[in-house]
Amino acid sequence: MPSLHLDNVAKHFGGLKAVDEVTMEVRPGEITGLIGPNGAGKSTVVNMISGVLALTEGDITVDGVSLATDRADVVARKGVARTFQNIRLLPEATVLENVLIGFHRREEASILSQLLGLPSARRDTQRFEEKAWDLLRRFRMEDYAEYEAGNLAYGHQRRVEMMRAIAAEPDIVLLDEPVAGMNDVESDELATIFRELAESGMALLLIEHNVGFVTRLCKQVYVLDSGRMIASGSPETVTSDPQVIAAYIGTSGH
Amino acid sequence: MMQFYLAYQPIIDFFLLSVGFGYSQQIALRAGVFSIATAGFAALGSYCVAILATKTGIPIFLTVILGTALAAAVGGVLALPLARLRGAFQAIATLAFVQIILSLLLYGEGFTGGALGIVGIPREVNTWILLAVVAVTMYVLWNIGRSGMGRVFNALRQEESVASSLGVNIGKYHIIAFILSGALGGLFGGLQSLYTFQIEPHNYGFAFIVNILTVVILGGRTTLLGPIMGALIMALLPEIARPLAENRQAVNGVILILVITFLPNGVGDEIVFWFRRRKQARQQQKRASEKEARDAVSTS
Repeated sequence: MPSLHLDNVAKHFGGLKAVDEVTMEVRPGEITGLIGPNGAGKSTVVNMISGVLALTEGDITVDGVSLATDRADVVARKGVARTFQNIRLLPEATVLENVLIGFHRREEASILSQLLGLPSARRDTQRFEEKAWDLLRRFRMEDYAEYEAGNLAYGHQRRVEMMRAIAAEPDIVLLDEPVAGMNDVESDELATIFRELAESGMALLLIEHNVGFVTRLCKQVYVLDSGRMIASGSPETVTSDPQVIAAYIGTSGH
Repeated sequence: MMQFYLAYQPIIDFFLLSVGFGYSQQIALRAGVFSIATAGFAALGSYCVAILATKTGIPIFLTVILGTALAAAVGGVLALPLARLRGAFQAIATLAFVQIILSLLLYGEGFTGGALGIVGIPREVNTWILLAVVAVTMYVLWNIGRSGMGRVFNALRQEESVASSLGVNIGKYHIIAFILSGALGGLFGGLQSLYTFQIEPHNYGFAFIVNILTVVILGGRTTLLGPIMGALIMALLPEIARPLAENRQAVNGVILILVITFLPNGVGDEIVFWFRRRKQARQQQKRASEKEARDAVSTS
């Protein structure tokens, strides 16, 4: 299974260095954490990896293959999936339909056979529906399959996003604050699912500003502050690092 | 039955053509492309068929195929410069495209007959042919709806960034949507010219654009039933409102405002959604009662 490397990555908006000199590795079979206070540049990093933002400097590679200049859809087809910090669902579509679109890059039928309704097109849809139901059961969402996604509770919407992201079995999944706004029970359920995904060989990058959740799940944690990597290592080393404590609690004593 | 058919035949034919143009408009809107190029595609198809049918001896069905292919090809090419535009900008750019086509038809007098258009087009199309073509069109659109392409179109319409994060090549699918919209516009434009005996650029002007947009907005942007309901209202309204004579346009306007206000998804879409919701509610009820039964067993 491939791993993801960021090599000296930077994003500058004019004179503002939103992200600068960031180097990190996301290994398969593990959950890697990326934490930092609000505005640290975490989402900018995710947007650069997923091809939404262009890099100013540096390189991003998956198994030695560069993603740095790829469009978002090309990055996705290379096996890097993501969720969004501000939930983005297809609001008019049902939960099932939202998950089905996640299988897009596994489609085999040609445009013509889709137009003519040939068996190959129907097979695609059937295959995806079966797998989508498996996912729905795994995330305990099968009772909501026919609901319009836009009407769901917040925690359920998060799950729909997650199912959609992992539907096509990506090698690398970027989770942008996946448990924000969830209660402990809900986030524990997701933590279990994240562990299972990692055990199945996926490389997970968990972006959070909730330190506790990350330290419980991750082997390797990176800490970003004001666009720079201020610490990295095991959860224990990182959370006892004075620079990290300063970044989170502040040094002026408030 | 026969009497009914004879009395209402022009209305039925007008209805069927409107449905066809409506689908051309709808497929673009459905994919999140705010194109109003259907009028241009219809003009291309219509003139291509009219010129070939009056000036050459090639078989009529072949002229329709060529007209469809021409409009589809132009649609595909048109998608390229418009790739970066969205929403109102897309609408204006496609409106400009229609203007270009219409002025070419006006000023290419030697070829297109200018403002007078082309007369003496053989009348080869009747209600049954229109009905058959609409049926085939619906079958293809039905297939799209159940395939990956339909899912991609729905995703593009609702949230482009999600689609691209899942590997959808937005540019490619916008090109496909334009080609399909072009093909349908050209096809029904060609049929129209083989139906009306005479065509002129004016037929595909502002009134045409507004009519077809109205069909889709009244009827619905996402379901197969949408353009049918929209076209039905547009075809029947003048008949129902006949006693109102010159106030007809005002009545049209009032109805449009009422539908947009109270049925924003369009009449056809709302009907389909209503049935869908009812089905969902029933399934929910069934699940709830099953659960109750299970709980009752486990506690006893």
